[in-house]
Formats: sequence, structure tokens, C-alpha cells
Amino acid sequence: MKSESTQNVAEYYKHLSLFWTDLIHLMSTKPQAMTSVGPMRNFAENSKKIAAQLIDANEDLMEFNKHLAEYYKQLTDTWMESQKNVNFKAPEIPNDAEQYEAYKRVWIDIFDNDFTELFDSEKFGENYGKLVAKELELTKHWNGIMDVMLKSANLPNKEEIDEVYKELHSLRKRVSKLESEAHKKVKKNGE
Amino acid sequence: MANEIKIDPKILGEILKFGKNVIEAPKLVAAPDEIKLETTPYDVAHREDKVRLLHYKSTTEKQSHIPLVIVYALINRYHILDIHPKKSWVRNLLDQGLDVYMVDWGTPTNMDRYLDFDDYVNGYLNNCVEFVKDEANVDQVSLQGYCTGGTIATIYSSLHPENVKNFVATAPVIDGWRDTTVISNLAKHIDVDQMVDNIGNMPPEFMYYCFSILKPFEQGVEKYVKLFQNIEDKNFVDNFMRIEKWLSDTPPIPGELFRQWIKDIYQNNLLIQDKMYVGGKRISLKNIKMPLFTQVAVGDHLVSPECSMPLHYAVASEDKTLRVYPTGHVGMIASSLSQRKVLPELGQWLKERS
Repeated sequence: MKSESTQNVAEYYKHLSLFWTDLIHLMSTKPQAMTSVGPMRNFAENSKKIAAQLIDANEDLMEFNKHLAEYYKQLTDTWMESQKNVNFKAPEIPNDAEQYEAYKRVWIDIFDNDFTELFDSEKFGENYGKLVAKELELTKHWNGIMDVMLKSANLPNKEEIDEVYKELHSLRKRVSKLESEAHKKVKKNGE
Repeated sequence: MANEIKIDPKILGEILKFGKNVIEAPKLVAAPDEIKLETTPYDVAHREDKVRLLHYKSTTEKQSHIPLVIVYALINRYHILDIHPKKSWVRNLLDQGLDVYMVDWGTPTNMDRYLDFDDYVNGYLNNCVEFVKDEANVDQVSLQGYCTGGTIATIYSSLHPENVKNFVATAPVIDGWRDTTVISNLAKHIDVDQMVDNIGNMPPEFMYYCFSILKPFEQGVEKYVKLFQNIEDKNFVDNFMRIEKWLSDTPPIPGELFRQWIKDIYQNNLLIQDKMYVGGKRISLKNIKMPLFTQVAVGDHLVSPECSMPLHYAVASEDKTLRVYPTGHVGMIASSLSQRKVLPELGQWLKERS
């Protein structure tokens, strides 16, 4: 877990940076509103949104790194344990072809068993779930930044495209249903 | 010298041979892209969006009256059921006189992210079955579902029992809480809402990750060592490359379908409890009263037998058979054992009821 002091420092810097970006945004919009129209004003607004996404992403990145470190720790610990088990089971260094084959078999069986046990464990599943969740949070921030940029370029963003997909899905469903009903009617009339 | 390390000349010989095989491999083996996986001829009988219904050309004069519709899984592609002329599930059934159709789900794109179980079961699959009924002039078909296709076929058989004469469930995913595989452990821990809301369809990379943690050293290291050791064995290499090509090609899964799949099957385990809803209707396994043939593999590390077998006990069918085979998930459908044991039993069972 993140210690309280680290949390406070992160919160402080988040606040500090938001305070200044907000204030600069407020201050800059006044002269901009007076002297500029359209894109320049948008640019100021976009900068603030992108800055906010980057600040939040930074926090998620810290959490992501924490779970990634735990992920590799679990793999490394299991590797060390497996190697210990192999050494226990086959303490001699193989020096002929048959012994080498037997050693290889023992090595693979032990490593596969131990790693499968890890992948099947609650602690692995929990950490993996959090790791993926944080990765997805980072994706969300990236999407947020892309949305701002697409909007400023007057292009449809993810949300708008998803809306189109949803509408298309619903239309396809309706057409398929109508086709199926029409087919049934034709069949019935033909009989 | 006391610390002298003695190395068996045989080991040195093996190492040198291995090195030579690695160098010569490109001359002896076709690249995966150059290998064609489909071996049995078929016609595309019906299409809807990206879904295709394949109708395999018969290899016998006399055919069984009731056609068999195979519902392939959502993971990887249907080629595994026709992976090699000598190990083809489809060809074997054709040779036994069955009329075989197969549902190929195609490759969903971002546009398909809102497709759900309702679209797959009551839309695509139902339209395929209706098409076959019309084409073959029958009132019912035999339905076989493999892996996740087994789940889709189970739901279909519950919602449209009037269309299904016989139901074959091959390693179906049914009871998610009993599944003992590492896949189910991951499925239980991922935040599927977050995944689908953020990225839409389930990306193939997630599946490749899941494959990578299944027996990582045997499947990720040893099998490639074996490939190079056996590089001169044409049969071995041909089989190996076909399976590898199949394994490395999995399509995305539509987001909404994936969401319901993970939540209802693995996380909340609704299907076996008769609490799952598809298209606004509750799925009751007790609606399955037609003859049922369930096939499971003891060594299945993708869908454990404990996850598949509850189907056999949950349905209301009086005529039901459960077969447990000493093989794995892929071995059950594409191996010499499947040709020798699994398929003759299935063909016999189907013919007796068709």
C-alpha cells in the first residue's frame, strides 16, 4: 500500500498543478476571449483538459508500476522456488545423454507445476486483475487525451463512434428480424 | 585435473545436430503463412454479416437424414476441426455418412462490439439452423458445440429445443465455478466492465496471454525444442506447423458478448443455476430434453472436466451419454485418438438417432 506521506505528497502536487493550470486557464481566457475567437480559445481549454488527464494518468501509472513490480516478483519468486525444488530432486549435474534427458524432464515438470500453481492462486489472480485494471485506466486517460485532440480537429471521438456502432447494431438487428419475418411469410404463402 | 568437467560426447553430438537443424529448418519447413489449413472442400451455404455457414461436400453416396450443424468456439478458428486430412473431425464424420455444416463466426471488428449472446444465439445461429432446415427439408437438425461453441449450442438448445433433434456437447463451458483451469482464475479476477467500456472487443492479445500461461515451459519452450529435434520428420513438422498456425490466429470477441460471457459464466455462474438471461428469456437447462452426448477430456487444461460434466446431470434428457476420454482439449478433436475412438463413437451415436 502507498504510505500516507507519499499519498499526501502526491495529493499536494496534484492540487498545486491543478490550481495553477486552472488559474492560468481562467486568467488567460479573459484576454483570449477579448482578442481571439474560435481555435485559440479552444486551445486554452484543451490544454487544461489534457493537463488534467496527464496528472491523473501519473497517479494511475504509479499504481500500475506497483502491480507490475508485484507481478514480476511473483514470477521471480516462483522461478527461484522451482529451481530449488529441481536442485533437491536432481542434485547431480547430468553428465551423460540419458541423465540429461531425465534432468530436463524433471526441470520442465517442476517448473510447469509450480507456475501453474501460481497462475491458479488467489494472490496471482488478484494482482493480475488490478494490473489489468490500472492498464485500462491508463488507456482511458489516453483515450481522453485523444478525444480532446479529435474534437479540436473537428473529428468524431470514441464516444461518438461508439454511438454510431450502437445505432448500427440496433439497425442490423431490426433488419434481420424483418427479413426473418418476411421469409416466414413467403414460406407460409408458398405452402 | 580434479575439477575437470566430463561431457558425454553424445550430448555434444546432440547439441551440434540441434544447431545444424536450426540452420536447415527454413529449407525444410514451410512458413506458417504458406500453409493452408482447410483440407476438406465446402460451399459457403449462407452468410450473415461476418458469419458464414459452411456446407462440407459429402464423401459418401448414402447420407444420414438429419444434418449435423457444428457450432465452433469463439476462440481461434474452425480450422482445428479440419486441421489435417488424417486428423479431420469433419472428414471423419463425412466418411461415416453424415451431412455436415459448420458455423464460422468470422472476424468481428470494432463495429461489432455491441453483438451479444442474443445476436449469436437467437440471430446468427438460429438463422443458420433455419437455413439448414430449409435446405435439407427437415424439421430438426443435430447440433454439436465445441468449447465456447458448446455453451452457445447449450443456450440454443434450451431456447429452441423444437429445432434440435440431437445435441452433442464437446468440452462445453458450463459450470464456471467448478472450472479448475488458470483461465477461469483470470476470468474471475478481471474487471470486464472496465475492459469492454474502454477497449470494446476483447483483443486477441488477451487470449494469447492466457495461452502463454498454460503449461508455460512444456508449451512455450520444450515443444519448440522438439520441433528442431524432429525437423526432418515431415509428418511431425506438418502437424506441428498446422497446430501452431491455428493457435496463433484468434479473432477478437465482441465486447458485449464477452462481458456477459465472463460475468454470467465465470463470475456469477448463472448458466448452471438456470439464472442466465439471453434475449430477455431465462435459460433453463431442463428445457433440454433431446438426446444428449457429452464429450469431455480428462487432461483438458482449457475447460476442465468438472466444468463440462454438470451439463450431463442438469438436463432433462432421458437419452443421455457421457464419455470421458484420456486426452486434452485439442487432442479430443484433432488427434489419432479422436479418429480411432472419439469420432467412431460419436458417429455411431448420431446415426442411431438420425
